[in-house]
Amino acid sequence: MPAPPPDARSFRSELIDVRPTGDDGVVLRVRPTIELPALRAARFFMLRRDDELSPAIPRPFSVYRVREDGSIEFLIKVMGRGTRALAESVPGTTLVTVGPLGNGWPVLGGDAEPLVMIGGGIGSVPFYMAIEQALAGMEGAPPVAAPDITFVYGAAHAGLLYDIEVFERLGVRVIAATDDGSRGFHGNVVQALEAEWSNGRLPERVRVLTCGPDPMMEAVARVARDRDLPCWLSLETYMGCGVGICNGCAVRTAPGGPFGDWPIAKCCVDGPVFPAAALALD
Amino acid sequence: MAQLAVSVAGLSLRNPLLSASGTFGHGLEMRHVVAPSLVGALVSKTVTPRPRPGNAMPRIQETEAGLLNSIGLENRGMQSYLDTTLPEVAGADTVIITNIGGETEQEFAEIAAAFDGRPEIDAFELNLSCPNVDGGALPYSTDPKTAERVVASVRAVTRKPLFAKLSPNVTRIEDIAVACERGGADGLTAVNTVLGMSIDWRTGRPGLGTIVGGYSGTAIKPIALRCAWQCARAVSLPVLGCGGVRCAEDVLEFLAVGCSAVQVGTANFGEPGLLARMPAELDRLLDDAGFASVEDLIGSVRGGSRAEVPG
Repeated sequence: MPAPPPDARSFRSELIDVRPTGDDGVVLRVRPTIELPALRAARFFMLRRDDELSPAIPRPFSVYRVREDGSIEFLIKVMGRGTRALAESVPGTTLVTVGPLGNGWPVLGGDAEPLVMIGGGIGSVPFYMAIEQALAGMEGAPPVAAPDITFVYGAAHAGLLYDIEVFERLGVRVIAATDDGSRGFHGNVVQALEAEWSNGRLPERVRVLTCGPDPMMEAVARVARDRDLPCWLSLETYMGCGVGICNGCAVRTAPGGPFGDWPIAKCCVDGPVFPAAALALD
Repeated sequence: MAQLAVSVAGLSLRNPLLSASGTFGHGLEMRHVVAPSLVGALVSKTVTPRPRPGNAMPRIQETEAGLLNSIGLENRGMQSYLDTTLPEVAGADTVIITNIGGETEQEFAEIAAAFDGRPEIDAFELNLSCPNVDGGALPYSTDPKTAERVVASVRAVTRKPLFAKLSPNVTRIEDIAVACERGGADGLTAVNTVLGMSIDWRTGRPGLGTIVGGYSGTAIKPIALRCAWQCARAVSLPVLGCGGVRCAEDVLEFLAVGCSAVQVGTANFGEPGLLARMPAELDRLLDDAGFASVEDLIGSVRGGSRAEVPG
């Protein structure tokens, strides 16, 4: 039986700050009412407002940052009713909070190839802590040197590069790419990546991590496959529960991969991070 | 302290709170969030004889006041349930009700017979919303004759208590309830999801990969309550209320109209820990209203109003 992670809890948290970022993003800072374990980057929580007016089904959000006071930040893009209800909340609002959920990125140690992280729009969120943890030495692994981490941050235009200046302060290479050229490289993330390689600014052998719109991740996974590079994707799906009980967040698996012959995995408890080879990608 | 224990079709439940099929996995995987000892019974996801990979994505879509789903009974089939799930269920400190489904009467009987000897299973719930492949793929739950036959086919192979889960998508649910009673059911579950759909008129895309799916959540509570009430009046079997329940107040409403216990479904998604805190709330509400036990409330307004107000 695929089960939620043993450290997952269902509890309340208090919204303590709401900060707008970019054209349609907000950073929600919440104070959990329980003690949380150390959170690996790319794990997530389900959040909803605890009232009678907001959507009753919580939405999944990757952890953006954990602050020194133990509060947690979620960077969310306003997409529909669930995210709007959260974004329009005021400090003091109580949030139904379920987590921590999911697996998170694999351990990113300094004893393997350099890291290339490719985020698209709001898909940048799980990379802040990935960079922070890789630089610090993730869960006992040797630290990754800052020059060995490249973050390619793409979006349609500059207004969707949420908090890019916060990422830039981490001290790793951040390459912005926008479809309209309003900031950084004029083109998409895959074109930016190829340009880095052809200009010799990126080693041939790298580990690839990606999160963003499905077509972007599929394109990145194809590049990784063609170059025989290890690649992980952090997926987003509609989730009903986040804890493995609704079967709503199905993702298609590759036959003969780590999920055997079963054609379906649950994004919430089997992921959200999957090796590219585990997935049946379009 | 109100007495919460209830007896339903020979099962002793420590309280009238059950998980609804398909909304709590097989139940035990949630033990860190809801201890099995806190609920009256855990109802499994539907298990079918053969593995089913389920429906196309997207499979869920929240709408104005509820949730649409079309999971498609994704499950790994009865052999996997026997080999992998049941050993984990063994020793669970609660009643285990296994929800079973099939596409023919023979499939229902086949899976019930295969599970009958397993002591981990305390009772069966039949998912009558499964399409009847022999009958033009209409669900068993929509025709009294096929509903009676499929219940009878399972009754013939097991003595475990048998609950028939009914669909609200019928003209007269009482007729189906009576048919299930004739077929040998020990109880009814009322009800499964209401058929619904959503559409984005700009893109033309439906919310669900299958276009039409089951609608659940807050919006269907009045429908479910009406169905449960009609069933409770039509048969002498215990009825498990189900549909749109999200708080202890809702549970008490279903009990008042004649349900013996109540299933909590979609609300588990909104808050997975909900079932863990409901027993204490039930207790408090009953105390406040002067009811000494759940049994005193059950069916107290079956006729449409209560003869006397307690306390």
